[in-house]
Parts: sequence; C-alpha cells; structure tokens
Amino acid sequence: MIRVENLSRSFDGRPAVEGLSFAVPEGALCALLGPNGAGKTTTIRMLLGLIPVSSGSAEVAGVALPASEETGAVLRARVGLLTEAPGFYDKISGRANLELFGRLYGLDESALGSRVEHWLRRLELWDARERPFGTWSKGMKQRLALIRAVLHEPRVIFLDEPTSGLDPAGAREVRTLIAGLRAEGRTILLCTHNLSEAEELADLIGVMRQRMLVFGPRVALAAGGTRLEIELAGDAGPLAEALKSVSVVSSSRAERASSPAQRGDLTTLHLTLDDLERDTPQVIREVVRLGGEVLAVRRVGISLEEIYLRAVGEAAA
Amino acid sequence: MTRDILLLFLRKELSDLRSNHQVWPAYVLLPIVAVALPLIILIALPALTDAARAGHDAGARMILETVLNDPGIKGGTIEERFARVLLRDIEMFYLVMPVILASSAAALALVREKEQRTLEPILATPLRDGDLLLAKLIAAVVPAVLLTWVAALTGIVAGLLGGWWRVGVLILPTAGNVVALLLLVPVMAAVAALAGLRVSARFTDVPGAMQFTGLLVMPLCLVLVALIGRPAMMSPVAGLGGTAFLALLALWLFRRNVRKFKREEILTKWR
Repeated sequence: MIRVENLSRSFDGRPAVEGLSFAVPEGALCALLGPNGAGKTTTIRMLLGLIPVSSGSAEVAGVALPASEETGAVLRARVGLLTEAPGFYDKISGRANLELFGRLYGLDESALGSRVEHWLRRLELWDARERPFGTWSKGMKQRLALIRAVLHEPRVIFLDEPTSGLDPAGAREVRTLIAGLRAEGRTILLCTHNLSEAEELADLIGVMRQRMLVFGPRVALAAGGTRLEIELAGDAGPLAEALKSVSVVSSSRAERASSPAQRGDLTTLHLTLDDLERDTPQVIREVVRLGGEVLAVRRVGISLEEIYLRAVGEAAA
Repeated sequence: MTRDILLLFLRKELSDLRSNHQVWPAYVLLPIVAVALPLIILIALPALTDAARAGHDAGARMILETVLNDPGIKGGTIEERFARVLLRDIEMFYLVMPVILASSAAALALVREKEQRTLEPILATPLRDGDLLLAKLIAAVVPAVLLTWVAALTGIVAGLLGGWWRVGVLILPTAGNVVALLLLVPVMAAVAALAGLRVSARFTDVPGAMQFTGLLVMPLCLVLVALIGRPAMMSPVAGLGGTAFLALLALWLFRRNVRKFKREEILTKWR
C-alpha cells in the first residue's frame, strides 16, 4: 500500500531525507520515529505529493510518485492527513468546518451529512458541533482533525504527531481511535515522538534520521535483544562469577529472588550474550556443567527506547 | 471545480471578512463615500460656479475652462454643464473602489490560511492549485464588484435627484459611465485581486501582506483608473477596449499565479 524506494529530498542543498526506503503492506500501521528535524513531516508531505521529491520513487494507494497534477489529485483523494496543528477555522462551528473539508474531498451532501454525524457522535463531539471551533479544547480539536482525516474513507492515512500536546486522557482517546482505524484495515503511517504510543499501536517501526536507521516488525525488533535470564535453585553467585570467563558472555550478574520465603531459595542470573540465538544453548550447557539447577530460561526483549536511542545515537556519531 | 466549491469558499471568505477588522472598515467607508460624493459636489456646485465666474480662484477658473471645452458636454447652463462633468468624472471613484476592496481581500486570502494553519489541510485535499486560486479570486472579486455596483447605483440615483434639485434636470450617466461600471469594474477587480493573491502567496504574515498591498494599491489605482478608466468615461469604445485589455491581463496574471503557486514554498517557508 505504501512503497518507498530511495526517496530523497534536499532544501537549499541540505538533505532533509536521504535514500529512504521502506514498505507498509495494506492494513498495517507503521510508526515512523525520529528526533525533531529527522525528516518525518517532509516524508509525509512527499508521499502526499505536496512537495516534490529530489530523487527516488514511491507508490502510495496505487499512485506512483512523483505525481502529475492529475495523479496528485487522485492520490490526495485516496489518502487522509492529520497535520500536527488541527488547522480549522476558529470562527465557524466544528460541524461547518468538517462539512467544508468534506466538500473539498468531493463528498456529496447526503453522504457528508450522515458521515459527519456518525463521526461526531463516535468521537463524542456531537454536543459541541455548533460551537465555534475556536472555543473547543485541544483534545476536541485534535479529534475533529482526526475525523477530517478519515471522513472521505481513505485507504491510507498519514498521522503527524496525533497526540502532540494532548493531556493523558486526550492522548488515550486519540490512540483508541487510531487502534480502531487500524482494526478496520486501513493502512496508517504514524509519525510520532511518543515511543510508548508506537509500541502500543504499530505493526512496523521505522527509526529515521534523514535516512532509515532501523525498520522492521515491532515484534521482531523487540526480540532482537541480547539479554538472557536464567532462574536457578539455590545461590548462584559463584556461578555468575564463573560464567564471566565464558567467551560469549559479555556480562553476568546474580540476583536473589525478591521473596525467598514464598519461592524457596532462588537466584536469577542476568546474562548479556554476544548473539542470543547462537549462544543460548552453549551458555545453558555451561550453567548445567557448573552445577546449576535450571528452573527457567527467558530471553529478554529489547525495549523500543533502547532500539531508538541506539539507532539515533549511532547515526549522530 | 464545481459551483458548490466556489460558493463554499465565497461564504467562508465573506464570513472571514465580517470578522476581519483590518478589512471590513473599507467595505463600509468606501460605499458611504461613493454615495455621499455626488451629493457633496452638488451641494457645493453654486459656490464652485460662482468662484469660477468671478475668476478669483485659479483652480475654479481652470475647471470652468475644462467644462466649457469638454467635447462630451454640450448645451445647458454653466451650472448644468458643471454638474454633468463632475457627475460623470466622479465615476472614477467607482473604479477605485473595486481595486482597493478586491486587492485587500485577496491579499489576506492565502496568508490568513497560513496563519490559521488551514492551508496544509486544504492543500492535502484533491483541490488543484488552479481551483484554489480561482475560488479565492472569485471570493475576493464578487463582494467587491457587488458592493461597488450597489454603491454606484445609489450614487447615481443620488446624483439624479441632486441634479434635479440643483439645476432642474435629470443628469443620466453617460454611455462611457455605463460601460465602465458594468464591464471595467469586474475586470479591474480581477486584476487587483490577482495582484493581491500573488502578494498573499508570498507573504507569511497578515500585517506584512497588508502593508505591501497598501503600497501596491496606489500605483495600481493610478495605472488602471487614470490610463484606462479616464478614457473609458469619455468614450464607451475606449471602455470596451480597456475591458478587453484588462480581461486578457487578468487571464495572463491568473495563469502566472497558478504557475508560480508553489505548494512547497508555502508549506516549508511559513513561520
């Protein structure tokens, strides 16, 4: 549904996006992470045909980029956009704002009226519909902007910082709605700084800083950790020390169980290995050989925060 | 683009105008002046003709000579000829009106969208650049033209009644006046609005756009009204020629505006 190949864009000779490649299949939600100025918004604008690409190509909702004026209009009809600022007219009512944008998306009056009512009710904005938009709270404004992004029932939705500046309750409401849209099978590209939001919602995660630093399924990325936890009976302090001499073990630490009265005399070994997949069997064998009584073995996934900080840190270096 | 979309923008722009304190005073003041001007001139007519006859005032003497030598005005008393010339030439104000109103409304049309952050969502819709600019153009031109026509009609009626009261004759608009009002007013408004739209696309803040448009309006009025409006008052043929020229100019400006309308510039260079 979204396919990006070697996409680049420079402003006055300064690269904003460089050789970006990724693909988001139909019905998936991809979170694009990156620090300020990483090129996330520029990427969305390029993929919507709002700004031209310097080089590379892309395909969004069946429309190839770079787009002509004709195909650009087709592309924009198939894609919904939530901009960082809600971008509505303060003096007119929420409903009038929605109707105005709905007409610009080519919706006829009868379809528009029913869709506006459906969405305003679904997002609990119906009671405020006739109040001027300028008097609405930030959360309400953001929800209205989200309605605008989906009012024309696009196949692809771009969300640029959808929960930026919202209080926790407002952010939760917006996240619930995004999850609902994903469940309806829409393809969503979500640009965010909020890692927990990405972790909660995304199927795919990309970390970018001008170029794509890390990209893949959230589950696979999270499984790419290097830590192993082994639960042992008895005191495994000496064992932890002995394991430090094993070449594939980068670090080893023993931790007594927090409630020994309930669980007996237990120790958890925290190990960091060079390659979790390759080295786990060897380490288990070594633990058993050294007399350890293994009760459980757990691979510890890497957090998105670690993935993000590592990728961005390496790119900065 | 559908008629509905044009009406949609027209309604929105009118609602914007009502709440815009930088623009709506002009929409109130200019029509008042347009109606009051013929009455003021007719009230001052005896004093003006007396001064001209007495020959003390060089300015009044010059006006008298102009009136007596005007090829378009023949016969009648000095007062009547004075009244006819002044009422005919007063119509130039009706040509200044649409230029000021349309250019100032258009100058705000895009820059206000930028300030309200509504332009990106609009650009993200299937609306094309030409459609957006046409909608903005019509939204600036239609109110300016309608208001000018209403003010002019009221002014003409005031002139008719005032003329009857002052010199005892009904002074009807000349053929040049009619051509200028019906044809020149819309094309002048269009040219002025297109100049305003260009300013609006370039600027990132409302005060800057308004100041620049203020500077632009003066030479624009001078060129449009003095070079095209004045000859049109004297001759309907000149008015038709001027209309054709301005219509072509407006078409060229519109195409140029569409060509120069850079979504990227607008999206990446606003504050």
